[in-house]
Order: sequence, then structure tokens, then C-alpha cells
Amino acid sequence: METLSQILSPDFLLRNSIYTSVLVGLACPLVGVFLVVRRLVFMGVALPQISSTGVAIALSLPMWFGFKLAEHSSHSAHTLAFIGSVTFSLSAILLLAFLERRGRGQPEGRLGTAYVVASALSILLLAKNPYGEIGWLDMMKGEVITISNSDLVLTAATLALVVAILGLFHKELLLVSFDRETAIIMRKKVVLWDVVLYVLIGLTVSMAVLSVGPLIAFGFLLIPALTAHLFARTMHQFTIMASLIGGVVALLGFLIAYTWDLPVGPTDVVLLGALYAVAWSVAAIIISRRTTAAG
Amino acid sequence: MNKALITLDNVSIGYNSQPVLSGISLSIADASFTAILGVNGSGKSTLLKTILGLLPPVAGRIDAATSGAPLVFGYVPQSIQFDPIYLLTGFDVALMGVYGRIGPGRMVPAGERDFTRECLRAAGAEEFGGRRFAELSGGQKQRVLIARALATRPEVLVLDEPTAGVDREATKAVLEFVSHINKERKITVLLVTHDFASARHYAGHVIWLHEGTVMCGPTGELLSVERVAEMFERGEV
Repeated sequence: METLSQILSPDFLLRNSIYTSVLVGLACPLVGVFLVVRRLVFMGVALPQISSTGVAIALSLPMWFGFKLAEHSSHSAHTLAFIGSVTFSLSAILLLAFLERRGRGQPEGRLGTAYVVASALSILLLAKNPYGEIGWLDMMKGEVITISNSDLVLTAATLALVVAILGLFHKELLLVSFDRETAIIMRKKVVLWDVVLYVLIGLTVSMAVLSVGPLIAFGFLLIPALTAHLFARTMHQFTIMASLIGGVVALLGFLIAYTWDLPVGPTDVVLLGALYAVAWSVAAIIISRRTTAAG
Repeated sequence: MNKALITLDNVSIGYNSQPVLSGISLSIADASFTAILGVNGSGKSTLLKTILGLLPPVAGRIDAATSGAPLVFGYVPQSIQFDPIYLLTGFDVALMGVYGRIGPGRMVPAGERDFTRECLRAAGAEEFGGRRFAELSGGQKQRVLIARALATRPEVLVLDEPTAGVDREATKAVLEFVSHINKERKITVLLVTHDFASARHYAGHVIWLHEGTVMCGPTGELLSVERVAEMFERGEV
């Protein structure tokens, strides 16, 4: 309890890291729910990695074109990284969604290839980049230590945007996802709503990758939603439960990582995985008991 | 016969500009019960999707006799096509029927929720409206989907293979109800089926897709006992 009150104190040195982790934990599952119901789980895995490749490429641009970013100014590097992350996330999700809609080729193969190539490319690019030394490689590994105020504000703003758009347009996004044909017959602008959803997912992923790295991003995109789906009865419950699981695990993960001096990202993801395993077992027991009682 | 509500004039239907059936000219009368009949692969789903506006016609034109506003279709798709991963109750699914009247970003008004409950009641789906849609039987899902179609306040009720995945008793109950709606509310019904018996029993008119041709006419003429018997003998149906 003492550690908990210590890390929640406004004077805590790593307060931005914990606030950002919790915000990412709350925000990612909100869009992750749509990745799960649209059966785009593989996209949830590939997208953060592609986004981090965008960061790596953006940070390599000064080196390739022979100009230097202002010394001791991480702001320029952050801006470049943000542009790279958003550009790659949005381009990738729109392209992959378009190819998915066309139904040609093997979607799993495409996403798997995109994931593995993006992972390798990020490491290669950052290994040869001077900015790799100032924390970006740590970020790729999920070390949430150096979170600036601007990153915190960006994360909070993205969460607010995600909540606002999902709240306002939930019925449109749900109808287009659940029954596309009926949405077209009702003259809903299905392509527009797809784009809104994909842009929202892309922005959330970019924000998460930039703040806490791809490892935590894909952990929080998918695992809270998969866990919540085992127990929720309605879509509202599903969304709220997934977001709360993400937020609480982010807080617990940070507490554990701080107490035992572990990297936050891997701790969060392992904790999410353990929670999912326990939840899955409990759900299986409940179903088995219900079946026995009914039979 | 009532005035034509939907008219197809020399229409070709198909995918990616490749026609599956060509030269279709027919009309669907207002307040009629019309069956689109044919075996699997005959093109009946393609014809239905073209009429609904889900597919553009490859050639020709489709006109609706309305007062300017587009025709409102209450669409009842096959219940087996829905992914059970969605955590939606029967009521949630039926409520989607009113979404067409509510603009983006607006909440569903209480009046529309009450109307959805009325539609569930009318379709005999009220008692299982609170249960998860994915856990309902095929017949129960069909009733919820009919309630959703009624919630659109349709001018045309369109049912795509309502017998798929549904037992005989449930199919009969659903078609009896649709027939009742057609007679009582004067809603035009378009039923896509490969079931000759259902088409003969319930539909007043038939659009029969057979070996690349499209035949239309009153059920009694097109599906006379002699004609159907003859086709069964030849193994054509």
C-alpha cells in the first residue's frame, strides 16, 4: 500500500510514466474491442509494429539527408517520431483494411509478413541511428521511463477523442461492423464509418507506440478485450470492462515493475496474459457447470 | 393486380461487370407477396442484392414508384450469417431497424425504443428479446430479424432464404406471420427461396430463375401441380 501511495503521489518522479501507462491501458482496449469483433486480431498485432517502424524511419531521415536535429532538444525528435508513427499507422491500417475488403490473397500471411518485416526493420534502423541511443530502443522494448509532459497530454487528448467518437457514433460503428449489408440498405455511409474507425484505431496505436512502445500497445489493444469478452453480456459491458481491465492492469503492472525493478512493458503484458489465462479457465469452469446443470 | 412498385427494365445482373443473368424485365406489384425462386447458383441472391441496391446492375435500370423518397426496404438476411462474437441481445439487434431514421451522433429516442418493443411483440419475439441473439434458435433469430425489418417501417419486406438453418415448424410459423403482415398491413413481400412448396403456398407471384432464364407470373400458372410434377420427373428441381 505504501508503494501504491508513493507512485500515485504528484511528487513521484515517474508520475508521467504511470499516468501515461494507465491512459494507454484505458484507451487501447476501447478500439481493441472493434479489432476483436471484426476478427482483425492479427492486425492488432501487426499495426503497433508497423507504427514503430514509422518512428524508426522518421528518426532516420536526419541521418539519411545529412541534417542534425537541435542538440538536447528531444522535441524535434518527438515531432518527427509522431509524424512517422501516425503516417505509417494510418497508411497501413487503411491499406490492410482495403486488401481485407477485396478478399484476395491470404490476410494472415500479409499481416504476419508485415509484422516480422516491420520488427526487423525497426531494430535495424534504430541500431544505426544516434537517436536510438537516447531511449528509442528502450521504448521498442517497452521501457516506460522517459515520458514527457507533451506525451502525457497527447495520450490524454487521444483517450478523450476515442471516448468522444465511440460514444457519439457507437450505433453507426456497431451497425456497419455487425451487418454491413443492412447498413448499406439503410443508406449509411459505410466506407466513411470504416475510415472513421480505422483512423481512430491508427491514432490510438500511434499514440500508444509513441508513449509506451509497441509491446505494451499490442498487449493492451487485444488482451483486455479478449478477457472482457469471456464475461461481458452486452457490447457496453464489453467495452467498459475491457477498458477497466486495461487501466487496472497498467496500474498493477507499474506497481510490480517498480517494486521489483522490472521493465514496465513486459511486466504489463505478462500480467495481462496471466489474467487472460485465469479468466479463460474460470469461464470454462462456469460453462462446464452450466452444461452439467442443464444436462 | 396492384400498380407496379418496383420495375426492372432490361436489367443485367452480375459481379464486376460480368453478367450472370441478362435481359430481365419484370415488375413487382405493390402489396404483393412475390417469391424469387430458383436452385442454388441460379442467381436469385444476385437478383435480390441488385434490387436492394447492394450490387449495381450491369446494364438496364431499376425504378421504384415512390413519391421521390427512396424505397424503404425491411431486410431479413439469413440468420446464420451473423458472427456470434457480437454481444447483442435480440432487442439490440431489433433496435438497429430504427437507425435508418436517426442521424449520426444522435441517441435513440425513447419513442423508437418503445416502437422496437412493439415490433418484437408483433413478430412474437418479445419473450426472448432480452436474451443473447447468438444463443437463440434459428427460428427465434428469424423472428428478431423480422422485428428489426418491421422497425424500419418498410414499404417492402425482403426475406433471404428464411428456411436456411431453421426447422420445418419454425419456418412455417415465420412464413405464416409474414403472410399475415402482407395481408393486414399491405406491405409488399419479396421472399427468396429454393423451396417450391413454400413459394406455392404463400406467394401470389413468382419470379423463377431457371437454367439462365427468368420467368414471372402468378403462382397458380407458373407453379401448377402438373408443371412442378413434370419438372420433378425430369430432375430439374
